Amino acid sequence: MKPVRDLLARVRGRLLRDHALTWAANGAAAAAVLALAVEVVYRRWPLDPGWPGLAAAGAVGLAVACAGWALAWPSWTEVARIADARLGGRERLTTALQFATEGGWLYTRQREDAAAFARGADLDALGPVSPPVKVLAVAAGAGLVALALALLPNPAVQQLRQHRIEAAAQAQAADQVQQIAQKLGQGQPGEDPAQRQALTQQLQKAAAGVRQAPDAQSAVASLSQAQNSLRQLQDPTLGQKQDAAAGAGAQLAQNAAAAKAGQALASQDLQGGATQLNQLAQNLPNLSAQQQQQLAQSLAQAANAASGDQKLQTALSQASQALQQGNVQGAQQALQAAAQETQSVAAQDQFQGDVNQAVNGLQQAKQPLENAASGESGQQGQAGQAGQQGQGQGQQAGQGQSNQQGQAGGQGQGQGLQAGQGAGQGQGQGQGQGQGQGGNANGGGSGGGQARPAASTDKIYVPSQAQDTGNGQNEGNQPGVQNDLVPYQQVLADYRASALNQVDRADIPEQEQQLVQQYFSGLGS
Amino acid sequence: MEPERFQELALAIEQELARLIVGQRELVRSVLIALIAGGHVLLEGQPGLGKTVLVRSLGDVLELSFARVQFTPDLMPADVTGTNIVTEDDAGRRRFEFQPGPLFTNLLLADEINRATPKTQSALLEAMQEGQVTVGDRTRPLPRPFFVLATQNPIELEGTYPLPEAQLDRFLFKLLVPFPGPEDLAEIVRRTTGVTDAELRPVAGGDDLSAMSTLAREVPVAEPVMERAVRILLCTHPDRPEAPEEVRRYVRWGASPRGLQTLILAGRIRALLEGRFNLALEDLEAVAAPALRHRVFLNFEADAAGVDSDRLVAAVIEASRGK
Repeated sequence: MKPVRDLLARVRGRLLRDHALTWAANGAAAAAVLALAVEVVYRRWPLDPGWPGLAAAGAVGLAVACAGWALAWPSWTEVARIADARLGGRERLTTALQFATEGGWLYTRQREDAAAFARGADLDALGPVSPPVKVLAVAAGAGLVALALALLPNPAVQQLRQHRIEAAAQAQAADQVQQIAQKLGQGQPGEDPAQRQALTQQLQKAAAGVRQAPDAQSAVASLSQAQNSLRQLQDPTLGQKQDAAAGAGAQLAQNAAAAKAGQALASQDLQGGATQLNQLAQNLPNLSAQQQQQLAQSLAQAANAASGDQKLQTALSQASQALQQGNVQGAQQALQAAAQETQSVAAQDQFQGDVNQAVNGLQQAKQPLENAASGESGQQGQAGQAGQQGQGQGQQAGQGQSNQQGQAGGQGQGQGLQAGQGAGQGQGQGQGQGQGQGGNANGGGSGGGQARPAASTDKIYVPSQAQDTGNGQNEGNQPGVQNDLVPYQQVLADYRASALNQVDRADIPEQEQQLVQQYFSGLGS
Repeated sequence: MEPERFQELALAIEQELARLIVGQRELVRSVLIALIAGGHVLLEGQPGLGKTVLVRSLGDVLELSFARVQFTPDLMPADVTGTNIVTEDDAGRRRFEFQPGPLFTNLLLADEINRATPKTQSALLEAMQEGQVTVGDRTRPLPRPFFVLATQNPIELEGTYPLPEAQLDRFLFKLLVPFPGPEDLAEIVRRTTGVTDAELRPVAGGDDLSAMSTLAREVPVAEPVMERAVRILLCTHPDRPEAPEEVRRYVRWGASPRGLQTLILAGRIRALLEGRFNLALEDLEAVAAPALRHRVFLNFEADAAGVDSDRLVAAVIEASRGK
């Protein structure tokens, strides 16, 4: 039986090699097909990083190969059967193996016959190792397609990454706004507590809005809205009041008795001015009649200069009249009223500073959100650019109605920005955001969307102008690439220069020219 | 008996028959296998192909008694089995005495068996299966060995009585006698139209056949070969899942377990004749057609479509190979 067993051992070795090749091919095919499936699934449901899915596909392929090879491990009976079939043994080997220990002369003769056959068997009759070509072709095909999909950009993954960036930026911005709210939560003496509470609430609402915003742009819009709401807390007449106080201070500074108060008010030290006015009111009885008359005259002049603040003007006027009539006590009360109004303006000034600080803080909080949003715009723009090499680009500038003036950028950018002027906001300025449709080779594009009021400090990008080279091809800047966008401030400066140049004519009254200048100054503040 | 002696005897029988029978080597080999297995053979072929000569020659080379019965519609069972007749002894007393029929022989040629009535055909059933004959109230054993070699003509079917399934199953093999080729025909003419006829000499006896049968039954059969034989048989049954489509469509009943026994036993004998000491798959495939073609019963659709049982047996063999 030794020749039989030796032959069967050699045949089994050969079978194991065949099975190894077969199952390696099967495993490779399984891994390739799974990798392809993973890549296809990633296109719909992305995973970043994606290597765990591909590694799992490889592991499954390896498991298939190993398990298949192990399960296909041939028994000796199977080896004998295969050897008989391929070597022409006519079941000699199978029979000899089964009855290896059987007694009887016919069994012995059969084993001798099988041994003789085994000694003369030629393993070459098993044939060459034939690789599973079809399976390998499937593996190669699926693998190549999976590789191509892996190398090609995956919009879903890019979107996922962008979403993560935006989410992180939103969280950062929300934390920033929350810190501002905590910092500005403490009110100052003399100010309106309701205003302080409104300031805090607006900031907290803005933080919540940023957190809950679906994307960075919405978060920016939420912050812009919050900025506008904060600005509405400001007193638009505060500047006039301050000017009125300064004017009154300049008049009072010429009087010896009220010089300190006047100097303080003239230098916009309203708190100090209020203190000095109170002190002046206490010192009134100590003044001589001539000094009181001189002071009454200065107070009257100061009242005239404080026309921008009705209360201050009235108080100063009453103080002047009381002194002229010798009513010192009435003059004291009027001066105290003037001091109180001055202190109120000082408190408003302080609150205005806090509001400005909050607005600036919100503006700073916008920065990471804008960066995140602009990253998305850049990606989309690059994608659009890739498909339009050698084609001219253009843009469409759309003029809005009386309360909207905007531009829309398109041409594959996928997202347009619209700058608009919001009439009726009192600011004379606004921002519009909208979605733009990408154009193509003909350079066309359109933009649309509703304009929303925005702060003057919003950093908004608009596409640059296309330039005609005269050869029928537009060589405008590539759309959607952030490098080709111009900061809003620069656009504003260009418009301002253009507008001022247009109105710098003799037939336009100087007053009207100043209105235009003031308009652009207001936009830039 | 040694395997070498087995092969020697078989070769001698075949060579001796070849002196008279021209060509038909496969037919002779199959008949020899059936005789060694102790089974009966149904020969089917056109008239004049040497069926009768073959059977008669077997009797000559095997030193066996030979009898021939020409089956006709008016043949009665007693004409075959024998009957009790009234005889008178020396003392003048009359008594019944059994007069044996032609069945009491070693080698019976039942010529054109399908021309006898079913009643007469069934008289053979007991003899073929049990090796005995019952007449009246007495059962008489037939001489050993007892072989029936029946012939039937596939043409001229008018006035014939097809053998019932039960009787067909008693035959170990159903052999088709092919028409000789041109060379064989020329040789037949040379041998039969000359002055001298070949005289056959006996080369083996009944005991030799019995010893050969005993040796063949000891040939080992490996498990995969046995499984294949079982699968072949099951594939002939139209209600089995492993049956091929043709069997499902054209077969009414599949082969009985006797078919499996025939496959294994005939295969063993063939293995020894081929010089091997084990049953091989190719032995099963070689004996499948003669062993199964008369055990696979076709339906009307098969008759209408002209499908014969050999085609179905080929489909069965193919299906039994599996994967």
